[in-house]
Amino acid sequence: MSASTHQSGGAKAVFRSHEFILFVVLVAEWIFFYFAGTSKNYSGATVGFGTLDAQFDIMRHSCEIGLLALVMTPVILTGGIDLSVGSVLGFSAIVFGKLWRDGHLPIDIAMLGALATGALAGGLNASLITWLRLPPLIVTLGTYSLFRGLAEAVAHDGDTFTNFPASFINLGNERWLGVPEQLPILAVVAIAVWLLVHRTTFGRSFRAIGFAPEGARYAGLPVERRLALAYVLAGTVAALAGIIYTARLGQAKADDGTGYELFAITAVVLGGTSIFGGTGSVHGTLLGVAAVAVLTDGLSLAHWPREAGGVLTGLLLILTLTASVLPKMLSNRRSHRQTGPSTPQPSPPSP
Amino acid sequence: MKRILALLLATGLVLSGCGKSDTSSTASTPAAAPTTAAPSAGARKLVIGLLPKAKGNGYFVSCAKGAQEAADALGDTLIFDGPTNDDAGKQNEIVDNWINSGVDVIAVSAENKDGLSTALRQAEAKGIKVISFDADVQPDARTFFVNQATPQGIGYKLMDEAARLCGNSGEFAIITATLTADNQNEWKKYIDEDLAKNYPNMKLVDFRPCDDDTAKAQAVATTLMSAHPDLKLIMAISSKAVPGAAEAVKQAGKIGQVHVIGLGLPSENKDYVHAGVTDSVILWKTEELGALTVQVADALAKGTLKPGDKSFTVGDKTYTIDGDNVLLGEPFVFNKDNIDQFNF
Repeated sequence: MSASTHQSGGAKAVFRSHEFILFVVLVAEWIFFYFAGTSKNYSGATVGFGTLDAQFDIMRHSCEIGLLALVMTPVILTGGIDLSVGSVLGFSAIVFGKLWRDGHLPIDIAMLGALATGALAGGLNASLITWLRLPPLIVTLGTYSLFRGLAEAVAHDGDTFTNFPASFINLGNERWLGVPEQLPILAVVAIAVWLLVHRTTFGRSFRAIGFAPEGARYAGLPVERRLALAYVLAGTVAALAGIIYTARLGQAKADDGTGYELFAITAVVLGGTSIFGGTGSVHGTLLGVAAVAVLTDGLSLAHWPREAGGVLTGLLLILTLTASVLPKMLSNRRSHRQTGPSTPQPSPPSP
Repeated sequence: MKRILALLLATGLVLSGCGKSDTSSTASTPAAAPTTAAPSAGARKLVIGLLPKAKGNGYFVSCAKGAQEAADALGDTLIFDGPTNDDAGKQNEIVDNWINSGVDVIAVSAENKDGLSTALRQAEAKGIKVISFDADVQPDARTFFVNQATPQGIGYKLMDEAARLCGNSGEFAIITATLTADNQNEWKKYIDEDLAKNYPNMKLVDFRPCDDDTAKAQAVATTLMSAHPDLKLIMAISSKAVPGAAEAVKQAGKIGQVHVIGLGLPSENKDYVHAGVTDSVILWKTEELGALTVQVADALAKGTLKPGDKSFTVGDKTYTIDGDNVLLGEPFVFNKDNIDQFNF
């Protein structure tokens, strides 16, 4: 659990944590759609939300945004932001397609090429942010356009890459040991990022930088190198998401991943990470991704209009954050009321 | 603790309340999908999923209206859902969800031909019938394509209409979308063919792009009129270009002198048609396209329509099937006599 949980200790703090509230909201959502989105078809078979296939498809659909949100978490913890991840996803996917189709490289090598592209893209963000000390918002706003433009330039005249071999398409659509093939990849990245953020000194320095970058620097932390790590990781994993997205659709196109950076940021913020940096958790982010994914696909499986998805995601964000800060606000007000009056209140009679 | 629980309960209630109020509010919007209740044991209702490129687009809303009427007549359940943004993956996700929720037929208009085909092949593998309409997918990913108009039909109709307005002789010019646009170049091929074959006294003097931009089309039309003083007609073969060309003719005070025709939506050209600037716009009847799509889907699922059939009859109308393309028929000419009957 989060650092604050450790400090205050006890089960009560766990139940008060943002992650727990979000978990309960997720369960509520899940139960709601289980009843609203599941039905029997004419032959009596269960169809809809309550089937394993539907649950696995929800995970398949949220895999790419899940990956982006996971690596967005360290970035936001440092008080930064990366608006370029969606564009890096698209650019890497195009580079992957180009290397495979026009470069005649094997799929595996083309994948490495795409990952290297993502790492370089993240490296460019990191260099501009650490060397020139430009605000991450401005740097990544620039590279957001830059990488999308590069993707469009490589795939000029709306060229798309398709006809990938079946073994590659399977990565996005088939099962491996009973689970969608991309799920183990998401799990490995999730565990790795969780360990990085919650079990290493790197994670502590991300938070320290988010709280006070100058303080972190005076404390002797290698701020530049830690920031570079966060942005290069974001770029590399965005490329990985681009490969998986290409496998799922069987097609790489220059506008792949448009707007995904905002979905990723939404999931991170919904997961309880402060947009100003310093506090947050990776498991919170995963819960945030799941809460949005269940909502979006749940609506669709219940055959409700997806326009409602945007409104409900917004409500979800506002309500969950309110539910998370309200108890604190109420208790603050109460303690203020207790200490506020000039005359000290008589101690309450003991029962 | 109690306070938190109360809050959570309230959150849950509000969330579920949102869901509920949503379903009731959609009942009033014509384009929204009806909620599918669990099918009652005895009656076997076909469930047809209709997937447009974009849900809010007036063209597809009109298709959906025709589709809904056809589905009601056949006693089928129609689900109309599509992306609300330009995310290429969304169409695939909707298809996945339809596979899981057990629809019988999926009918799509593909934004990404190859990408969507990947998901459709999965649907076919699970025994779901797949057809396409408006914009085709890969032929191996569907059984039939409900083709709204062949390039030949569009090209010949435009040229015939142009020749009729010019009295079979005179200069005309074409404003296209971009010089590389596949659809437009395909139409142009048949315009040229019809022109060479049937109208020796008509002369195509210019062929210019407008980049699918109405303001640019207006500028191009103005240039065309000054470059060719004897110009009798402007043919706009991008839907954005038709109102642009009409505005240019109106501002140049050449109403009646320079005719405007084109391929466009009736709603965007209604005012110009009534003002006598634009003579006619050519398109297919979108509601009939939606209805035919549902009728083909229904017949395919019930086995009354099979691959290899040469024609498809609904009521007293018979549609030709060319290979695996079900043809909607001749494009329709919208002019001042009938344009008010259409609202797309």
